Amino acid sequence: MANRPLQLTLNGKAVDSADIPDDLPMIDYLHEYENLTGSRLGCGQGICHACVVIVDNPDGTSEEVRTCITGAHYFAGKKVRTIEGHASRDEQGKVTELNPIQQRFVDEFAFQCSYCAPGFVNAATLLVEKLQRKPVVNSQLEQVIEDSLGHHICRCTGYVRYFSATRNVLTDLGLVREG
Amino acid sequence: MSNRDISRRSFLQGGLVAGVSVTLMPLGSKAMAALMEDSVTVPSEQWLGNNGKARSRNDALSKVCGSKVFARDIRAKDMPGWPAQQGHAMLLKTIKADRIYAGMDLSWLGAELQPDRIVTAEDLLNDGIVFPEEHAPDPLLPVGKVPMFIGHPVAILIWNDFERFRQAKLKLKFNDKAIRYGDKAPLYQADPYGSFRYVRVGGATSADEDEFASLKDSILFPMLRNRRPVWNSQPDLHGNLTERGLFYAERMKQQIDNPSDDWLVFDERYKTPSIEPAAMEPDNGNGWFDPVSKTLHFVVATQCPHEAATETAKMIAPSRFGLAKLNMHPGYTVGYGSKDHNIFVYYAALAALYGAGVPVRLANDRYEQFQSGIKRHPFDIRYQLAVDKNDHSFKIFRAEMTVDGGGRANYSPSVAAVGATAAQSIYYMPQNDLQVTAYHSRAVEAGSMRGYGTLQSMASTEMMVDEIAGRLGIDAIDLRKKNAMVSGMKNTQGAVPGGALRLHEILDKAAVHEVWKNRDALKQQREAQDPDHWHGVGFAICQKDFGTGSEAPMASIEFTADGHISLRHIGIEIGTGMSTSQALVVADFLGMPATEVKTGETEWKELQLTSGGNPYTMSQAEQDSFLRNPRWVGKLASASSATNSAYYFSHATREAARVLFNHGLWPAALQIWRQGPYGGQANPYVVRREDAHWVDGKLTANGMQPLSFTELAKHAHERGLVTGATVHAFNRWSWAESEFSIDGVRERLPLDGLAVKYGDGAAQVKKAQMSSAGFHLLDRQNVHYPDTQLNNAAVTYYSPVATLVELKVNKGTHEVQVLNHHSWVECGRVLVEELVKGQLEGGIAMGIGHALMEEMPLYEGGPGEGDWNFNRYRLPMSRHVAVWKQSAEILPPLSASDPSKGIAEVVMIPVVGAIGNAVAHAIGKRIRDLPITSARIKEALNG
Amino acid sequence: MKHLFLRLSLALGLAAPLLSAHADGQVERGAYLARAADCMACHTKPGGAPYAGGLPIVSPFGTIYGTNITPSKEHGIGLYSDEEFFAALTQGKRRDGANLYPAMPYTSYHLMPRQDSDAIHAYLKTIEPVERDAPQTSLSFPFNIRLGLIGWNMIYAEDLQLQSAEGKSAPWKRGQYMVDVLGHCGECHTPRGETGAMELDKRMAGGVLNGYLAPSLLSDDLAARGWNHQDLASFLKHGMSAQGTMFNEMYPVFHNSTQHLTDADLAAMATFLLGDQPPEAKALDEVAFDKLSPSAQKGRQQYLNVCAGCHAAQGEGKPHIAVAMRGNTTLRLDDPRNLLRVIEDGIAEQQFTGFERMQPMPGFADKLSDQQLTDLLNYLRQSWGGKPGDLAVSDIQALQAQAPSAEH
Repeated sequence: MANRPLQLTLNGKAVDSADIPDDLPMIDYLHEYENLTGSRLGCGQGICHACVVIVDNPDGTSEEVRTCITGAHYFAGKKVRTIEGHASRDEQGKVTELNPIQQRFVDEFAFQCSYCAPGFVNAATLLVEKLQRKPVVNSQLEQVIEDSLGHHICRCTGYVRYFSATRNVLTDLGLVREG
Repeated sequence: MSNRDISRRSFLQGGLVAGVSVTLMPLGSKAMAALMEDSVTVPSEQWLGNNGKARSRNDALSKVCGSKVFARDIRAKDMPGWPAQQGHAMLLKTIKADRIYAGMDLSWLGAELQPDRIVTAEDLLNDGIVFPEEHAPDPLLPVGKVPMFIGHPVAILIWNDFERFRQAKLKLKFNDKAIRYGDKAPLYQADPYGSFRYVRVGGATSADEDEFASLKDSILFPMLRNRRPVWNSQPDLHGNLTERGLFYAERMKQQIDNPSDDWLVFDERYKTPSIEPAAMEPDNGNGWFDPVSKTLHFVVATQCPHEAATETAKMIAPSRFGLAKLNMHPGYTVGYGSKDHNIFVYYAALAALYGAGVPVRLANDRYEQFQSGIKRHPFDIRYQLAVDKNDHSFKIFRAEMTVDGGGRANYSPSVAAVGATAAQSIYYMPQNDLQVTAYHSRAVEAGSMRGYGTLQSMASTEMMVDEIAGRLGIDAIDLRKKNAMVSGMKNTQGAVPGGALRLHEILDKAAVHEVWKNRDALKQQREAQDPDHWHGVGFAICQKDFGTGSEAPMASIEFTADGHISLRHIGIEIGTGMSTSQALVVADFLGMPATEVKTGETEWKELQLTSGGNPYTMSQAEQDSFLRNPRWVGKLASASSATNSAYYFSHATREAARVLFNHGLWPAALQIWRQGPYGGQANPYVVRREDAHWVDGKLTANGMQPLSFTELAKHAHERGLVTGATVHAFNRWSWAESEFSIDGVRERLPLDGLAVKYGDGAAQVKKAQMSSAGFHLLDRQNVHYPDTQLNNAAVTYYSPVATLVELKVNKGTHEVQVLNHHSWVECGRVLVEELVKGQLEGGIAMGIGHALMEEMPLYEGGPGEGDWNFNRYRLPMSRHVAVWKQSAEILPPLSASDPSKGIAEVVMIPVVGAIGNAVAHAIGKRIRDLPITSARIKEALNG
Repeated sequence: MKHLFLRLSLALGLAAPLLSAHADGQVERGAYLARAADCMACHTKPGGAPYAGGLPIVSPFGTIYGTNITPSKEHGIGLYSDEEFFAALTQGKRRDGANLYPAMPYTSYHLMPRQDSDAIHAYLKTIEPVERDAPQTSLSFPFNIRLGLIGWNMIYAEDLQLQSAEGKSAPWKRGQYMVDVLGHCGECHTPRGETGAMELDKRMAGGVLNGYLAPSLLSDDLAARGWNHQDLASFLKHGMSAQGTMFNEMYPVFHNSTQHLTDADLAAMATFLLGDQPPEAKALDEVAFDKLSPSAQKGRQQYLNVCAGCHAAQGEGKPHIAVAMRGNTTLRLDDPRNLLRVIEDGIAEQQFTGFERMQPMPGFADKLSDQQLTDLLNYLRQSWGGKPGDLAVSDIQALQAQAPSAEH
């Protein structure tokens, strides 16, 4: 066991931590070192996906990564977005605008207790961004949503509103083509 | 009878418990929000649409942005005034129930990782900690004893920093190396937690007087001997209540054992699994004991903050720590019942207490949550039902139920009782004998969980009725229609359910649903197209009681002269949208919803309430004597559950709003309309309060000029009318009533506590009356409390739900795939349709999990050993619930005055029975043990 | 002559105990034999009705589909007599006289006694007929010509000869029948030549199948990878042991076949594989970090980043979640192919017996660079596999080039 420095970009801000244990899971880094608790610990084992963050790759693609089973040092040099980073905020930190997925989840009562909401917001946001690069045809829309959100666990809602809200966002943003 | 809400002999009064000053300040409260990054709820203009309907939850913004809304999100550095250092704790547990605990050995962790403090049973004893009686004995197992259950905690280990805690916990996980086991020993033994028997023999029709019934006569209680229930009275028609009850019970048994040729007697067993509630936020608490001020600051996830605060204070008060003040912050949380009456709170409080000045966080990870989190009770049920083969009417219903309550007493007695009294589902039973016993076992503690025993019994009943229809060779919905209760019929306790029963309305709709009507043709057609699967259709319907038989909601509403409405409520937001819907209830009377909502409120000094006695078990004489004190109430405050939110919580909000309308806004409106000579514009008309309407946010009646709430509020304040009201209500399957003289007008209200505030312009003499924490505390008169005998009614408030399921069973893997489902819900007046639908969708998913997936061994190899997670315990995912196809229909209310009925529990039940019935339709075999896994299907097909 | 003797000895010595165990239940016995012969593996498509055919078997020559062997007269084998069934099973002869593709392991089954064949047939007649044709097999020329198979059969079909059973224990003999004949384990665990036929001189020495190595089952090799008799039998029964879990092609074998076999038969299989006097399982000591190669040392951080969350920081694994790396047999193979493939491809969720359900392992093909992969493999193999940490990036790339394109 050893400590080593860790540099990464967190919600657009460069973060430089001096002594990060080499085996520290990313979720503990976010919670205990950065005080960002929005990425939630559900199973701690990579199953429920409540803890996922978005990693933006240099090639312009992005991916969902489970922070409870991935070491903090995996993210060294990477650009990471957490649930706390999606909404636009004013100087006091007050939310001025939500991203389209967040807004739609709010409008359609998509979540109940909301513990899993950060995971769903991240997964659905990723999907929006993916389809912005390459829209989907209508006949594959439901499958594409299932592929993106289907491995996330929610105990309250039965998933219906998360899924339909995501479908509505994708349709409204013009990311669904006939076919 | 022991009940789901345990009596409290001491209570919050003036914030003093056992000499400890107690304050509760919810994390989401304004006072906290000012000190924290974001407030949890937002002003109503952000979530309320122009049409007066909710556009979103009022806490949606924080939730969707990952703000610190859960207790679990809080760290010491978030808390104003706390030291920044955050310590962490874990519970060390013994996992062999048949071995004496001989002590612990942590030496192998190495010097570096030794806990900074270790708390054992000895410490608690030496330090004078008095653990809450309801969760005792042995919160930490003393050396030399055999554990009560697998996973019995033996010590609290505390580290002052995160990193050493993390490293040590990694080493302590998935093994019991730290436990020294002594000799093998017999398993811990305890008496059953509770045992009840509900006997009813009705008259010729339901309307005729019962020969014997729990409500009219008595619930029967056995003796407990050798850890079993026994009956030492003899059946005797002319004996005492028990003897008479046993006479009728014995007669039913004789009849069912020697049935007439006209009877079909069904006699089968059903088994239901132990279920992990799996609230996504595991149990947690974070506290700081400030040794200087002797104050315990305590953030905790709980569904019953009043009880948690009271019991925490009482636990520590006698100890050497000299606790002077408990400052508790109940966090927003989720539990489906499992965070109600939860022992975890007290472990977390102890961890904080032993923090030696360092804030300590005790937070379960998922493995620990499986290991010690409260479970749903597994039931083992024998049902006997005699049915007339000619007219298909039910004759005699017998049930013998065994309930496994796990290793610690929790709500097992009341879960057992509620399960038994719900066994009838929606059917009228002319005679019934329902016996139930809840036992101790070495399994993980079972307690409150959505459905509360009724899921287990009613889903089984629905499978039984379906199977009987098959044996009779008739349509299963026809059989249901024949036997479903109609309004005014008695339940199995002899009580009449409240309001209209609209079961036949739902059954009629289901009977003509295309999928039901064509189920056999559909099956044939689908199986021809898809030779890899068997297809099936199934239906079930249930009605679930809501409430506990001792409900005590409190609410307070005030408005300012500039039209700002604030609502304070005892309810806790648990994800069901309670704070949103309560804000909306206000609009019925004030024309606009509350602009500010505070939930989880615990300061109600203005009412000066006192309580005492157990509302479930007190005699009528005891109650009458208590009622001589006008400040006494049967119970101080309800726990928070979703079903409470809709009905009971709304009652308090509504009555407070009604007082404000009748004694604030309405007189203000009359005064405005009557301004001018000869009574102004009102003069030519008769203006009646019952004709008052809010239209587009303005009040009008009988053609009077519409007035906005702001105008009325201003006027009410100027004239010193009633501008604030705090109410307390009590319900024991019926509301307590009393008379109050409000601003000179005498009224009889379904309340037992009321305090009001007068507007800014009130005369000094009126203002002087506002001496009770700023309110004028009114003395109730001619109070009428529900008779204590109503405790035997057990349930009288019902809301029904029915579900029709289409599924397929794979011929190779024997896995079940739900293809589609449709539900019907009757819940009276709907407050926010999206919230009702959301509850339904979520309940159905949970029901699908219960019916098909969720299962774990109770004892060895089960969750008590600390190595269970969601890989082995499978929760329903989107692919399991027909996420795109499912549909539902909410029956319109009979009128706008329908009460809003709780549905959060019942929604998950019919889908379970419907799946059981659909699987039988698919494979031609009945599976009566849940969940219906591929292994059970394979066994049924081969057996 | 020797051949004939063997068949006789099989019929008498080996089938007899089975027969007496199920004396009065031919169908039951047939059901068991069908499990042991793993008919389901090829004749049931994933999610399909049992034995209704349709599983695509991807071979270097094209895709072969298992046929419908339910008693459907039109689509299945409803018209087969016992005699015809026996011919199909043991000689690859279809009822109409055509030859079966040798994906049907008749080269192994041909040593099956008639009464076992009859029992299997009796069992298959009891299952629900499914009226559906399996998809058409599509092979590339010249393998799409069934006639060509006659020549193939003449060269190879009779070639499988069993090792002499002389002086062996009864369990060993029983194990031989279970492994070599019914289980047809050699079909995968033996390298194959250009024509697709097994290289019988290297029988059970390990073969490559769809990019994965079916490892050597020779007793010395098994012992070198840490296998003892008890673990091996238990592995077949539960699909998991201290040495790891079954994955890739062995996972369905466990599901459809080995988990249903009696403890006695599984023990016999282990006895046969390891021998009546099994070599001692080799124990490995963990190699300390400072003794690792520079590449392996670097690999430690990759391990902590993406593996330790499930396999734990010290390689001890997590019970019921993910296997231990310490003592894991895959790390101990000379050929790093399987380790690489598993890391790159991941493993889907695995259901074993009872409540054992190992969580899915993600694939890291696009998460780790070739250098990172190389370091990680070196770390795993050197720390816990008893192998040198000397793989070069080029070794990894060469293996990657051999991986089949993901067509299934």
